Amino acid sequence: MRNFNFLKAGLGFYTALFITFLYAPFVVMGILSFQAGPEGGPQFPIIEWSTYWYQHVLGIAPPSRVAPLPIAEALTRSLTLAFATMVVSTVLGTLTAQAFRRHFKGSGFVFYLVVLGMMVPGVLLGLGMALVADQVGIARTWWGTAFVLHVVYTYPFAFLVMLAIFNRFDSSVEEAAWALGVPPGRTFRKITFPLIFPGVLSAMLFAFTLSYDEFPRTLFTGGSEVTMPIAIYGTFAVEIHPNLFAFGVLTTVFSFALLSVYGLLMAASVRRAKTKGIGVQEDIE
Amino acid sequence: MMEVRALAKAFSGVKAIDEFSLQVHADEYLTLLGPSGSGKSTLLRLLAGLEKPDSGSIWLNGVDITTQPTHMRNLGFVQQKYALFPHLNVIDNVAFGLRHRELDPVTDPARVEKRVADILELVGLTDLGGRMVGQLSGGQKQRVSLARTLVTEPKVCLLDEPLGALDANLRERMTVELQKIRRALGVTFMHVTGNEAEAIAMGDRMIVLDRGRLLQVDPPDTIFTVPATIDVARYINAYNILSGTLSDGRFTSSNGAFPVVGDVPELGYYAVRYDAAHVLAPGEMVPDGSASMSARFIASEFMGSQIIYIFRRIDGGTFEVVRHLSREDPASYERDQQCTICWHAADALLFDVKGRLVMDNSMRGAA
Repeated sequence: MRNFNFLKAGLGFYTALFITFLYAPFVVMGILSFQAGPEGGPQFPIIEWSTYWYQHVLGIAPPSRVAPLPIAEALTRSLTLAFATMVVSTVLGTLTAQAFRRHFKGSGFVFYLVVLGMMVPGVLLGLGMALVADQVGIARTWWGTAFVLHVVYTYPFAFLVMLAIFNRFDSSVEEAAWALGVPPGRTFRKITFPLIFPGVLSAMLFAFTLSYDEFPRTLFTGGSEVTMPIAIYGTFAVEIHPNLFAFGVLTTVFSFALLSVYGLLMAASVRRAKTKGIGVQEDIE
Repeated sequence: MMEVRALAKAFSGVKAIDEFSLQVHADEYLTLLGPSGSGKSTLLRLLAGLEKPDSGSIWLNGVDITTQPTHMRNLGFVQQKYALFPHLNVIDNVAFGLRHRELDPVTDPARVEKRVADILELVGLTDLGGRMVGQLSGGQKQRVSLARTLVTEPKVCLLDEPLGALDANLRERMTVELQKIRRALGVTFMHVTGNEAEAIAMGDRMIVLDRGRLLQVDPPDTIFTVPATIDVARYINAYNILSGTLSDGRFTSSNGAFPVVGDVPELGYYAVRYDAAHVLAPGEMVPDGSASMSARFIASEFMGSQIIYIFRRIDGGTFEVVRHLSREDPASYERDQQCTICWHAADALLFDVKGRLVMDNSMRGAA
């Protein structure tokens, strides 16, 4: 019994540490983002609480010696890229996972081929792509070369998520629909897709977030019009001001908003599929 | 109406269905009995087009449908686990086939509504149309599954162990219900089951399947009284089966030698129906024309209208005797008591070494 308590305390301590390391940087960043500006730096103590750096990020602060973050365009690019990547990867991943349900010939080989995209180090892939693009005379752009690599990178994740979903999927409902005279294409739209939709949402979320903060592949193949992570890195390399932290807080809030929408959609689809709390009764008469 | 010709299917070299041929008539209740692993589910999947046969063909009203995809066959298929669409309510589940099928979809919402309402009334689910299927009990799910298939008016309705997941009480009621629904619609049912009582009680005709081969197709009473092979006798679970040989005109086994009625060249098996044998009272003589053997009493099982006595044979196997209590009072025996069991020699069924019935006993009994 004492041993058990000891283990419990140990695990509790470990969990506390884990959470601290996970969230402490963010909390520090959050606090520092309210530093007074423009004279206050990214360190303690807080000179005075203010929202100056938030105004700075949004471009409504009075001009100062601190250059505004070059984010407006970069953010649009990143979001556009992440969205496009999400759509393409999720569609490809779902279709590939659907193909794998049939255990076709050579499926083992194809599996590793697909998964390779997330295994190969990003730097190698980015560098290789950049070299090849230069060799054959393709311009390096965020919407071209970088987009392709983003898909190569996120597609295996979407595929694996969908593969797991299909593994748990009871295909007898599809057979039931076919036996009712409904052709396979319509069965997929009306039966399969609604049932795997929570999985599709997860795959989309995966693809979006992975693409949104992708760095090495974009660095080498994105060309001169940079995406968000690279723009941030660019300012980071020169001098750090709390406007970065303010931006970090804003994007985190944005991510949480996105996650909440995901959670709500998920809950709605689960609720639709489940009972609404009315007792199940046996009435066979 | 439906004809199956020499259908065969093997999974990685193992024959699941072996040269299976069958004529299915219009408006009949066909039950298919087979032990687990006999290929009965495979057969249904082949008929429904969910598996491709290696050879053979399936004909429906004179059209070869062997290569047609499932959704073009117009065969109903009610799965063992119901396979209802969990994201739809009862009405949408039932209406799904009508609305979305390839051939002759019903586009008029009023007509869909009418047909769904009619079929829900037939299966007794009128009040539950708006419920999600997750809120239904097992028996209700069973009915939705059946209604969903029947509303599309299939030519043949294949049912894969439809009562398998229900508890005994519900199963009995659904047995009656299924027959009632089938008669009301006049559609042919092909009902697969591993339960011999279900197969015998429900079928107009009954098929016995073993290791992918068809052993016998006959009305249930014929199968019950005149099983074509020793395996059929085994699956209907109503016969004591002894194996032995013929010597000196008697069936000889380690349990003793029994007189054989009629002239047979060879014997391999000897079957005595549970209710054809009885236990001799102390002092009672073995009547003329009867066979008898000695066995050790193990246990009895009281079933209300009948009692089953279970004995240990000399060779170690069991021997069951059923006593119908409407005609006799129960007798009680001590555990391990040695008893003499006897039966009319003419009541025994004889099978040759290959397990085929060699003598039609019921004809002689009737004469």
